[in-house]
Amino acid sequence: MSRLIVTELIKLRTIRSTWMLMGIQQAVVIASLCVLVVVGADLRASTAVRQFLSQAAFMSSLFSLVLGILAVAGEYRHRTITDAYLTTPRRGRVIAAKLLALTGISAILGVLSALTALGVTAVVMNIRDASFDLSSVETWRSVVGVIAGNALYAAIGVSIGALIRNPTGAIAAALLWITLAEGIVASLLRDLSQWLPNASLLALDYSPGRMASDSQLLPQWGGALVLAAYAAAFALLALATSVRRDVT
Amino acid sequence: MTTVSARGLTKHFGVVRAVEDLTFEVPPGMVTGFLGPNGAGKTTTLRMVLGLIQPSAGEALIGGRRYQQLPLPRRVVGAVLEATGYHPGRRGRHHTRIAAGFAGADGRGIEHVLDQVGLLDAADRRVGSYSLGMRQRLGLATALLGDPEVLILDEPGNGLDPEGIAWLRHLLRGLAADGRTVLVSSHVLSEVAQTVDHVVIINSGRLRFSGPLRELASGTVAVRTSQPEELRRHLARRGYEVTMTGASTLEVRGATTEQVGQVAATAHVALSTLTDNGASLEEAFLRLTSSKEPAAATASS
Repeated sequence: MSRLIVTELIKLRTIRSTWMLMGIQQAVVIASLCVLVVVGADLRASTAVRQFLSQAAFMSSLFSLVLGILAVAGEYRHRTITDAYLTTPRRGRVIAAKLLALTGISAILGVLSALTALGVTAVVMNIRDASFDLSSVETWRSVVGVIAGNALYAAIGVSIGALIRNPTGAIAAALLWITLAEGIVASLLRDLSQWLPNASLLALDYSPGRMASDSQLLPQWGGALVLAAYAAAFALLALATSVRRDVT
Repeated sequence: MTTVSARGLTKHFGVVRAVEDLTFEVPPGMVTGFLGPNGAGKTTTLRMVLGLIQPSAGEALIGGRRYQQLPLPRRVVGAVLEATGYHPGRRGRHHTRIAAGFAGADGRGIEHVLDQVGLLDAADRRVGSYSLGMRQRLGLATALLGDPEVLILDEPGNGLDPEGIAWLRHLLRGLAADGRTVLVSSHVLSEVAQTVDHVVIINSGRLRFSGPLRELASGTVAVRTSQPEELRRHLARRGYEVTMTGASTLEVRGATTEQVGQVAATAHVALSTLTDNGASLEEAFLRLTSSKEPAAATASS
């Protein structure tokens, strides 16, 4: 299995889109934090650092999701999946290696995004004469949220890519769910909406009252558990279907 | 020495019967052509052999085992399926690196196969800039990484220029001479006629012929003699297939005019005519792949 994971890492690092996606991820994290400042976030509020980190976590997780999707759907698109399955006919192992590799990579990307967010926050607060406090436990819970959110969204991305197999379709479906569909479903489910995947991510991101609906979010650990359960369920579905499908 | 075999191999996609009850053997130590017109089921069959498509019935075995049961398949089978299985942004050398670990090849192994297919100079270019022929060569390099006993190539001639085809012929014949099993698909017989020793021909998913190439092309020899019955007995004793076509004419299958003349001379039978009706390879191939009747001609191999 370790050789399979190394192989997945070689695949990732030998194409430019991986590096471009990682670069854009950090750029978007910075841009979204600048937007927060421009729209007038209260930098002196006790929750300011948490608010910045949770914003970074959400934007960063979207890119980790796309990275996960492309790791599988991209292989189907370029038909390199044929070579992957010729090398390892036990396809479940290929998908499992991708899950592990992308989860690991995205956790590191989460660390990177958290560092970027803390850096931007420190600079902005310094300019505005607000005190930047890293000693708070809340801040570190937010950092954990960034890392875990990226890792879990990447894992879900791998599974979605394995299920839908067309990169454009898979990315569109995932983003449509996050931006639109979940909101509609949530309004129908009312109190149960806190159990939906993106609501779980928001809970995990530990965002302090960023939206009016945040009061309905699960506690952070609850969000983590529910999102992990989604990741596991998608992974099982992806493993089961990938093993049986014909690769034509 | 590894034989590839199909036993009752069948694949239905919904109502489409892509492959129907195929049974054939691909012997080691020679190049076998897997022939049939476009849409005959060649690619589906090869993908079933390689475990990529689940057969509806039957099985395909490589050295007696299914592909999925091979512990390190890259070291047993090298396959090139299509020229599109590449990420255009990846460099050629990196493409081969992905499979190298599982093929038991290190950096030197990669250099060796890239050199073998003549891609060493282009190895650090992105595959997107490769010509179709170069991509075929890259696929071949990846297939050769594990020094496999079995090579399976789907339409390898596509995109190769005449020089490339000659190079490929030389390479495949060399690999077969080492005792390897080489299976090459094509929809044009003339493309592989000079390369293959053995052929498996399918049409509409069914087997039409399986055997040595020379038996596919075996024409007939027409003989006219005043002692047809006498000659028929002598020819039949030597194992030739003889048909009486008239009161004084015979048709002999699987023999040359020299052989028939020799038999006649030994038997002291006088001949008034001895003609070679020889069917060309192309004619035999067209006859097998255009006819709709399902009868399969199978020669012993």
